[in-house]
Amino acid sequence: MIGASLSRWTMAFFAVSLVCLILAETLMAVGYGFPSHAIEAPETLVVVHLVAIGWLSLLMCGALFQFVPVLVAKPLWRPFLALPVLACLMAGLGFLLAGFLQLAGTLESDLPFLILGGCLLPLGFAMAIWILGETLWRARPLPLPARFVATGLICLLVLAFLGSLFAHLLSGWIPAERLAAERGRLVPLHAAMGIGGWLTFSAVGVSYRLLPMFMLAPDHERATSRWVWLSGSAALLALGLGVLLELALGASTSLSFGVAGICGLVALVLYGTDLAFFYRHRKRRQLELNIKASGGAFAALFASALLCGVLVASGTLERHVGALVYLVFFGWLSGLALSQLYKIVPFLTWLECYGPVMGRKPTPRVQDLVAERRDGPWFILYFAGVFAATGALLAEELTLFRLGSAVVCIATLAIVVELVLARRLANVSASLRLPEGTRLPRLFMAASGGR
Amino acid sequence: MSGDTRNELREAVLESLRMVIDPELGENLVDLGLIYRVDVDDRGAARIEMSTTTKGCPAAAYLKDAVHSAVWIVSGIEQVDVLLTYDPPWSPEMISGAIGHKFGAGSGGIRR
Repeated sequence: MIGASLSRWTMAFFAVSLVCLILAETLMAVGYGFPSHAIEAPETLVVVHLVAIGWLSLLMCGALFQFVPVLVAKPLWRPFLALPVLACLMAGLGFLLAGFLQLAGTLESDLPFLILGGCLLPLGFAMAIWILGETLWRARPLPLPARFVATGLICLLVLAFLGSLFAHLLSGWIPAERLAAERGRLVPLHAAMGIGGWLTFSAVGVSYRLLPMFMLAPDHERATSRWVWLSGSAALLALGLGVLLELALGASTSLSFGVAGICGLVALVLYGTDLAFFYRHRKRRQLELNIKASGGAFAALFASALLCGVLVASGTLERHVGALVYLVFFGWLSGLALSQLYKIVPFLTWLECYGPVMGRKPTPRVQDLVAERRDGPWFILYFAGVFAATGALLAEELTLFRLGSAVVCIATLAIVVELVLARRLANVSASLRLPEGTRLPRLFMAASGGR
Repeated sequence: MSGDTRNELREAVLESLRMVIDPELGENLVDLGLIYRVDVDDRGAARIEMSTTTKGCPAAAYLKDAVHSAVWIVSGIEQVDVLLTYDPPWSPEMISGAIGHKFGAGSGGIRR
């Protein structure tokens, strides 16, 4: 068979990740973590890892288990390992958060939660890298979008290793003083590998396939897209090498960081030209809500780059790094994720429910599973909340930030409700909803018969 | 089977294929230009060449089955052979004029 199959556990990954997102947004709205607590405080680490691992990484793993086979037109290698990956990551995250709560003094226990988290999370990520890496390896030579994902997976490897190291350091298992100086350098590398490498690079790669597909735009490999991959990879490499050389030889990082900055900027500008190309050359005149909403995420991506430039130039990056990370996490990555989930969940639900009777019974369209007109305002509210909360962080207005976070949380809840309604086929007219031979999909798991 | 009867059968097959919609685009495969070739021989054996909008599409196997079913129910068809191909890869230019207004003008339609 030329093609991919329905990934059985992807919907479970999505469900857990959305729960983590809502939990993190609620914590921010009630004033838990940054900016009420210091940026390096355990309370902030709870929120940051709930977003980075619980929401974005689980979502990315679930999405890649479904879309890497689409990118390379080969089936997923050992798909049954997806469940152990989910179990390891969920348990690992639970232990990690419990460890942070121990550090915060909220949880009193002698159990080595940080060590457990620092072992289970790398194990889960290693399995995910194994499944996806082997699938990519067997599909060489790789098309461009898959090369982005491959780079993202390498970054995930570095990220998980560093994360595990920090967990062992914080637990006291490795004496903290041994790596005290190095930690200051490795934490930004950990963040850059996570946000820039694993999450952004993988998201950009998948977008190169999904956007032309959804907009009916030309999807041939463009020279600019190849340069996005090359310059983005060079930026990540320069960043990693710069930190390593500084740690090993005491060399200054200014040159490597400068190279990384320029390469990153080139990648971003060229990615912008590619997005404009897809939009201008699209055949689908009436864009669907997932593409319209993605516009907010792309705006946040370029606003983040602009903000980063302004903060570096004004020497205030350290002071406002929280606002920058917030905008990247919630505007760019979460904005894009929620927008695309709005398409992916109905599409996978449609395939699972109506695929088996296609051509034999009348079926609704994928678009009939959602109510775009009703849902558009929630996305507007979401992005308005994100930009307001970012502004509040820059202005150091705590109450306004909590208000913005509450708006973001309410909009997210509404979007999640719409995804559940799509999964339950609630928007489909009664006459088409469940033709003979179909059954209502389970909320969290695709049917085993999915191809 | 005469040439006229074969042509009639071929038209009936095409009409039946119009029941099969691409789930993402919400239009039938014939007008989307995803049915590359329809041949019906003297013995009522149909051979269909089709594609999907993207290689590796998770819906590919379902679509192939749906095409098989839609052809099989046509009265006079005795055998169905469906070939999924990506040579050439589908492009939006293959969308036929009938639904072209929704997606921009296309020259599309199946190759005769």
